[in-house]
Amino acid sequence: MIHNVVNGVYSHVNVLDPTLSRPARARPHVLPVTALDAPSPDAAALAVLIGHVANLRDRTAYAALFKYFAPRVKAYLRRAGLEGAEAEEVTQDVMLALWRKAEHFNPARAAAATWVFAIARNARIDHARRRRGASLPAMPELEEPDHSPSAETQTLTAEREAQLRAALRALSPEQQQIVQLSFFSETPHTAIASTLNLPLGTVKSRIRLGLARLRAALEGEP
Amino acid sequence: MIRHHPSAGTLLAHAAGTLAPGHALVLAAHLQSCAHCRAEQARLEATGGVLLDDLAPEPLAAGAFAAVLARLDEPATPPPAPPRQADLHLPPALRLPSALRGASIGRWLWIGPGVRYSTVRLPWAPEENVMLLRVAGGRRVLRHSHGGVELTQVLWGGFYDHTGHYGPGDIGETDESVEHQPVAGPEGCLCLAALAGGLRLPWLPRLLGG
Repeated sequence: MIHNVVNGVYSHVNVLDPTLSRPARARPHVLPVTALDAPSPDAAALAVLIGHVANLRDRTAYAALFKYFAPRVKAYLRRAGLEGAEAEEVTQDVMLALWRKAEHFNPARAAAATWVFAIARNARIDHARRRRGASLPAMPELEEPDHSPSAETQTLTAEREAQLRAALRALSPEQQQIVQLSFFSETPHTAIASTLNLPLGTVKSRIRLGLARLRAALEGEP
Repeated sequence: MIRHHPSAGTLLAHAAGTLAPGHALVLAAHLQSCAHCRAEQARLEATGGVLLDDLAPEPLAAGAFAAVLARLDEPATPPPAPPRQADLHLPPALRLPSALRGASIGRWLWIGPGVRYSTVRLPWAPEENVMLLRVAGGRRVLRHSHGGVELTQVLWGGFYDHTGHYGPGDIGETDESVEHQPVAGPEGCLCLAALAGGLRLPWLPRLLGG
């Protein structure tokens, strides 16, 4: 129990400033002044930064998000087959969308990286569409039904990311490669088959097995 | 109670963004009705997020951040005008899934006894072969196979074929290896279907004297 002396009187909490007696983790998040030089933020910090962009239109928070995500989005788009200049341009579109859509980010539903992945994936689909015909309109975005998150789902989002990461690390290198290729390459199955020089059926069954292992890990099965 | 779900590969392709736009539309309609698949989709997207997070960063061109900063205050492109949707005189209890909101929907056309279809055109992917299909109670759809994967989401009523019974919210997935002849349940059936590679009708060459 924490005892504070306030004006000579013992009390269990500091009545003048209750925050002083809260545990350290409850301290308000302090934005780095030089966001571009700050060390890599963790998942919770990224979610807080998106919240600052949504609620405060905070460009310092946005700079930190840009520094973290833009080079990863570009790497993703390069793997999806976009050339250097295209990848650069679409990355900028993704980062602009991150600024505009920040208010739709729901930390109880998805981790920051999951949310950015979905935006980048949609930009990739949109890019493929524009390649086919420049005049075609954009695919409309569906607003998802907003099931108000319970405390339980909030914990699950954070836990799920950690579990997924552990489960991915636990896969064999071949399976890791296959899971990665199925998310990143343009024509997953055939591309994987030719990259790894495997029959298509083998690739499909390895994808199934890899995903089943991930799911089992998430559901806490052996 | 939803009994028929899309295959793991189709869900994966949807999460990865590599599913054809027509199939993605039908899958979106399924996700709106199926909490089980929504959870699976969330898991797959979270996997995509972890993979993105773990990628070796590729530096952007000098000035990229300044270029984006300069665009932050630009107005976003306004959404396109709502497309034309014919009045299909749907059963009163039925609301079309909101996944169809951006698509144009044609009037019913007769293609056989008790079977009508309406063309669903996606302005963002006009080459896709998507349709609403309405089959009267007990009527058969023509025996057919497919040039590729067919996804069929039941919106109202139901149908059955050799793979089982499909009710509201169920999705049927068949590929080029399957030849089937769905029969509507007694109340009839309304489905949203996306086809790849078109239909193959085994009786057509015979009909044409082939």
